[in-house]
Amino acid sequence: MTEKTTEKFGRRQFLARAGKATASIAAAGTASYLLYDPAGPTAAGKPEELVTLPDFSIPHRPGQTISIVKGTNRIETVNKAIELLGGLKRFVKPGETVAIKPNVAFASPPMLGATANPELIAEVVRLCYGSGAKKVYVTDNPINDPLSCFTLSGIGKAAEAAGAEVILPKNHLFKHTTLEGGKLIRNWPIFFRPFEKIDKLIGIAPVKDHHRSGASMSMKNWYGLLGGRRNIFHQDINTIIAELAMMAKPTLVILDGTEVMATNGPTGGSLSDLRRANTLIASTDMVAADSYGCGLLDLKVSDLPYLTKAQQAGAGTTNYESLKPVFAAID
Amino acid sequence: MSSVRRKKQLESAISIFILAVLAIIAAAILQKGFNTDITRFGIDTAAIQKTQTQDSKSDVVFELAIMVPAGFETLSAAETYTAENLYEKINGKAPLYTESGFKKLFTRRFVSKQNENLVMELFIYDMDTVKNAFSVYSTQKRPDVDALPGFAFAYRTTNALYLVSDKYYIEIVGFSEAQELFEAMVETAEKITGELAAGKVTEIAEMTLFPPENIVPDSIKLYVANAFGFEGLTDTFTCRYKLGDETVTAFLSRRENPEDARSAADAYYNFLLSNGGTAKSTAVKILEGRVVDFYGTTEIVFATGPFVGGIHEADNQKTAEDLAVKLINKLSETAKAGEK
Repeated sequence: MTEKTTEKFGRRQFLARAGKATASIAAAGTASYLLYDPAGPTAAGKPEELVTLPDFSIPHRPGQTISIVKGTNRIETVNKAIELLGGLKRFVKPGETVAIKPNVAFASPPMLGATANPELIAEVVRLCYGSGAKKVYVTDNPINDPLSCFTLSGIGKAAEAAGAEVILPKNHLFKHTTLEGGKLIRNWPIFFRPFEKIDKLIGIAPVKDHHRSGASMSMKNWYGLLGGRRNIFHQDINTIIAELAMMAKPTLVILDGTEVMATNGPTGGSLSDLRRANTLIASTDMVAADSYGCGLLDLKVSDLPYLTKAQQAGAGTTNYESLKPVFAAID
Repeated sequence: MSSVRRKKQLESAISIFILAVLAIIAAAILQKGFNTDITRFGIDTAAIQKTQTQDSKSDVVFELAIMVPAGFETLSAAETYTAENLYEKINGKAPLYTESGFKKLFTRRFVSKQNENLVMELFIYDMDTVKNAFSVYSTQKRPDVDALPGFAFAYRTTNALYLVSDKYYIEIVGFSEAQELFEAMVETAEKITGELAAGKVTEIAEMTLFPPENIVPDSIKLYVANAFGFEGLTDTFTCRYKLGDETVTAFLSRRENPEDARSAADAYYNFLLSNGGTAKSTAVKILEGRVVDFYGTTEIVFATGPFVGGIHEADNQKTAEDLAVKLINKLSETAKAGEK
C-alpha cells in the first residue's frame, strides 16, 4: 500500500515539476530574448544631450563685408579695418556680451607667431567695451596646456589688462554636438558653455603655414572648439575645416597677416619661419577672408581644398572680389 | 522505503553534480574576466609592451643634469609625448614625425637665474634611427642658415638651434635673440649630444653616393616616405646641384636588391605618365625610355644595381641628362664595389 501510494505521488510530482521547469525555461528564454542588446555596450556610455552652437552672424552689407588694410601697426590696421566695415557698433550693441576666440593653440611666446598677437586681442577687447559691450570673454581650447598657452602667448595678461575675462577650458564646459549635414562632427564634444549665452562672437587668427592643411587661418581657428581626441580629424583635414566653417557662425573674423608664418607651421619655432606681409583683414565672411589670406602665403584658393568645400556648403565665398573688398593702407 | 531512499540518494547526487558544474562555470568566467584578450578589439598588445619597454629606457636617458646650462634652472615640468599624443604638443605637425618613425618626444623649458626673459625650450625627438632623425631635420631645414660647428648635422637661426645626434632630432628654441641665451643653448646642445650620442658616429652612407662636384652645400634631404608625392619612393635622398645658372635636384634610394630597384623605378616612371607626363626622346642611350616631360620640366628615373636614381623637375633636359649620367656612374661603381 505504501509503495503504491509513493509511486502514484511520484508520477504526479514528476509531471508537476516537469511543467514548472518547462515554464521556468520558457520565462528565462523570453526574458533573455527581450533583454538581448545585439549592438552591445557603446564606448560613449549613456547618450549625451546634443547641443547646437548658436548663430552669431549678422546680415552681410554690400560693400562692407570684407576690408583689407595694409600697415605694420596692428592697432592702427585693426581699427581701420573695422571702421571700413561700418565701425564696431555695427557688430556689438550696448549691453551685449562678446566672446573673442583667438588662436592660442601653443605655449609659445608672441615673437614666434604661432598664436594670435596679444596686443591685437587687447585692442579688440577695448573696442568692444568702447562699443558698449557689457562683458567681453576671451577663450580658447588650446592644443597644449591651456594655462601655459594663455600665459606664454601673452594673451591672458593682455586680455585681462583690457578688461576681458579669460575662460580656460574645463570638462564641464564641453557638450556634444552633431553638425547637420556633417560627416565628421557627429555626437562630438565641443567647447560650448562659454558661447552658450553670449550675444556676439569674434574670431581672431594669425596667417600660418600648416603642415597638414596647407594653411591655418580664420576657419582653422575653430578647431579650438573641438574637444576629445580631435587629432583623428587630421586624417580628413579639409572636410573638418569645412565643417567647422559650417558649425561656427561668427559675427566677425579678423585675420592677422601682419607677420605670417610662411614655413614650418603651425608651430614654427624659428624667427626665420616668419615673414612680414603687413596685411590685416576683417570680414563677416570667413571663407572670403581666408581666400584672400592664402595669397599672403603664396597659395591659391585651389591649393586649399577646404575653401571650396566650405563654399559649397554655403559657409561663404572664395570669390572675395565679388564682395567688393574695401582696401586701405596706413603709412 | 528502500526505493524512496535510492531516489533521494539519486537526487542528491544529481544536485551535487549540477552545483559542481555551476561552480566550474563560475570559476571559468572569473578566470576569463581577469585575463581578457584585448587583441579581439584590434589592440596590438605587442606594440604596447614594446612602448613600455622603450619608455623605461628613455626615461633613464633624459636626466635633468645633462640638459641645464650653467646659470639656468628649469621653468617647467618635463613633458613626454608618444605617437599617441604628440598632437597635443605640436598639433598639425605631428604627422610629419609619426610618419617618419617617431617614438617619443621629451620637452622642457629652462630660464636664466639672472634674467627671466632668457628662456629656452628644449625638444628631443627620439626618431628610432639616425636616418629618421635626419629626415625630419632635413625636410624642415630653414634656408640660408648658419651651420653650427662641432656637430654632424646642425644649424642655427637667430633664435634657435636644430641638430641631429644619433637617433635624436633636437630643437632648442630661444624666446629671444640674446647672445647670452644663444651661448646657453649651445652649451645644452653640447651636453645632450655628448651624453646621448657618446661614442656613436652620426653618419649616413647614402649621402656620400651623390657625385660631389657642384653640390649645393647642406642641400641633402631624406624623405622617409612619399617622395615627390609617390608612395613607392621611400627612403629617398635628394640633393641639389648648382650647374651654371640652373639648380637641379638629383635623387637616389637604395632598395633591397636590383629587382626591387627596377620595379620601383618602373612604378615611378608609370606614375609620372599616368599623371600627365609624356615620354621624351633622348640622345643618351642609357637613358632611353627613362626621360619624361612633366608639365614642362624634365624628370628622369632609372635603376642601377640596388639603387633607384634620377633627376626631379629640371628646367633643362640636357643639364638633367648630364647629371643623371654622372649619378648612374657613381651608383654603378658603388654597386660593383658592393658585389666584390
